[in-house]
Amino acid sequence: MRIMEKVHPGATRRVVVRHHAVVRLAHWATVPVLLGLVASGLSIYWASPVHQHPVDPTTGSTEYLADLGILISHLLPGTGADPGAWLYDHFGLGTFRLAQALRLHWLLAYLFMTVGLLYAIGLALGGGFKALLPRRSDLAGAFAMLRYYLGVVPARLLRRPWPHPPVKSKYNPLQRIAYLAMPLLGVLAVASGWAMHKPVQLKWLERLFVNYEGARVTHFWTMVAFATFVIPHVVLVIVDGWDTFRSMVTGWSYRIGGRHGQD
Amino acid sequence: MDKTERPGARRRMAFAKWLAEADESSVELPLSRVRARTRRDFLFWSAGALFAAGGFWWLLPDETREHHLTPATRDWLDSLEARLGADRGRRERFLNRVLTLDDDVAEALYSPTRSVRTYSRSEVTPLRNNYNGATPTSAYVPGWTLTISGLSSGRVERLGIADVLGRFARHEQVTRLFCVEGWSAIAWWGGLRFADLLQAYPPTSGARWAQLESSINLDAIGSPDPYYVSIDLPTARHPQTLLATHLSGKPLPVEHGAPLRLLAPMKLGLKNIKAITSIAYSVEAPADYWHERGYSKYDGL
Repeated sequence: MRIMEKVHPGATRRVVVRHHAVVRLAHWATVPVLLGLVASGLSIYWASPVHQHPVDPTTGSTEYLADLGILISHLLPGTGADPGAWLYDHFGLGTFRLAQALRLHWLLAYLFMTVGLLYAIGLALGGGFKALLPRRSDLAGAFAMLRYYLGVVPARLLRRPWPHPPVKSKYNPLQRIAYLAMPLLGVLAVASGWAMHKPVQLKWLERLFVNYEGARVTHFWTMVAFATFVIPHVVLVIVDGWDTFRSMVTGWSYRIGGRHGQD
Repeated sequence: MDKTERPGARRRMAFAKWLAEADESSVELPLSRVRARTRRDFLFWSAGALFAAGGFWWLLPDETREHHLTPATRDWLDSLEARLGADRGRRERFLNRVLTLDDDVAEALYSPTRSVRTYSRSEVTPLRNNYNGATPTSAYVPGWTLTISGLSSGRVERLGIADVLGRFARHEQVTRLFCVEGWSAIAWWGGLRFADLLQAYPPTSGARWAQLESSINLDAIGSPDPYYVSIDLPTARHPQTLLATHLSGKPLPVEHGAPLRLLAPMKLGLKNIKAITSIAYSVEAPADYWHERGYSKYDGL
């Protein structure tokens, strides 16, 4: 076996295989697909927002995402001609684009399901799902990790030592919860999406969300949950360093023996 | 042993081995190999990122593009696209094929025996008047007739509202109407079954479609803007597809399509045409107002 071959001491590298090719492919394919789903989804949402309120006498707004846009354009003056449409213009495809947004949303939804299926099959057959299953000690461990994550950016900025809690497995407890939650969230997004798309032919699925409105509310909040996951995910990868990013591209990590003692 | 030596079995084993998650122990690899694989994977990754970014830009609606990047960058990207043959026409054809694919999925899911969920009258919710343009005045109602063509008799039939109400049994149902915009409303409808009309006036042989038209429809500034939808005959024959004459037990008001509208609760609201003035059966798929404006043709829920 070539792997065991001994070459010059300086010409070898000790690596740990962290991420399978199927996982890496699914991860990176999901990035633009999910981004596009959120963008087109927002333009669809605009046509009839799930969460509305009585008309605001000063802004004329009738829904919360328009309110958020108005707030942002107050904080960032000069970034949008129509404050109520700020969020839809910057994170969506814009307003009055329902037909185009729907078409794009279907395309990306089919891609999302294809990638998700590939990921699920790979994880199920390869046994990779085991690293994501929750363990009994995860609750306490998750709190320790949460405390660590909340302090890691300030500690880095203040150049204070901030030791990483010891981790003996592939993922720490909080990662395990998050990385299991993402595929489950994907399943929920797809299920609520189909319940909205075909509430008559798949009426059992619509019933699962109580009614059509339930599916709409669920679908909207899965989008919010995905968006909420992405922010700490990207921040923590940047903080964690190049090795973590590279391992999602090449599959290899140079950090031997898990994460304990590092950072 | 000879079982494992069959090439199929060996390939399966190799595939299972490839799929299997690596254990967490480290391996010592030649540096040259690590470097070559890292280079290869980053090249793949960069190519993928370029492809995704390019594809993303290509798929964006023109009006959305106008809001992003600088005009110079947009021009540069446009000419790059043109050189690669990824022009606007090709994008439209591609995305419309996606719509067709989704329609095919919807048609495959459709079952003529599957009933639409019904509600009790106490669950009725306010129904919005979503007339696309202006709501017409009631002046047309007394002189209203329904013209039916494309019949096996070869004749063109004209029915007044008294004919429609007198000749057919009235059926009542409380169903949800789903708008493409996302809102929905539960309403109590009454009317004749489209299936009964089809039986009384059978369409020409081989007909698969009906085009329903409303010459009464107006555009936003109040000028005539005939509205037309295509309905496949399996949908028209569904027992819950009504030609509605009543809403909440009373004759249809003008804002909901007096005196006769389509109620196909297994289709999006935009197919549920108000104030129908003509029905024409055909072999080929007829034109559809919203399909010509970028929406799906089938719209099955």
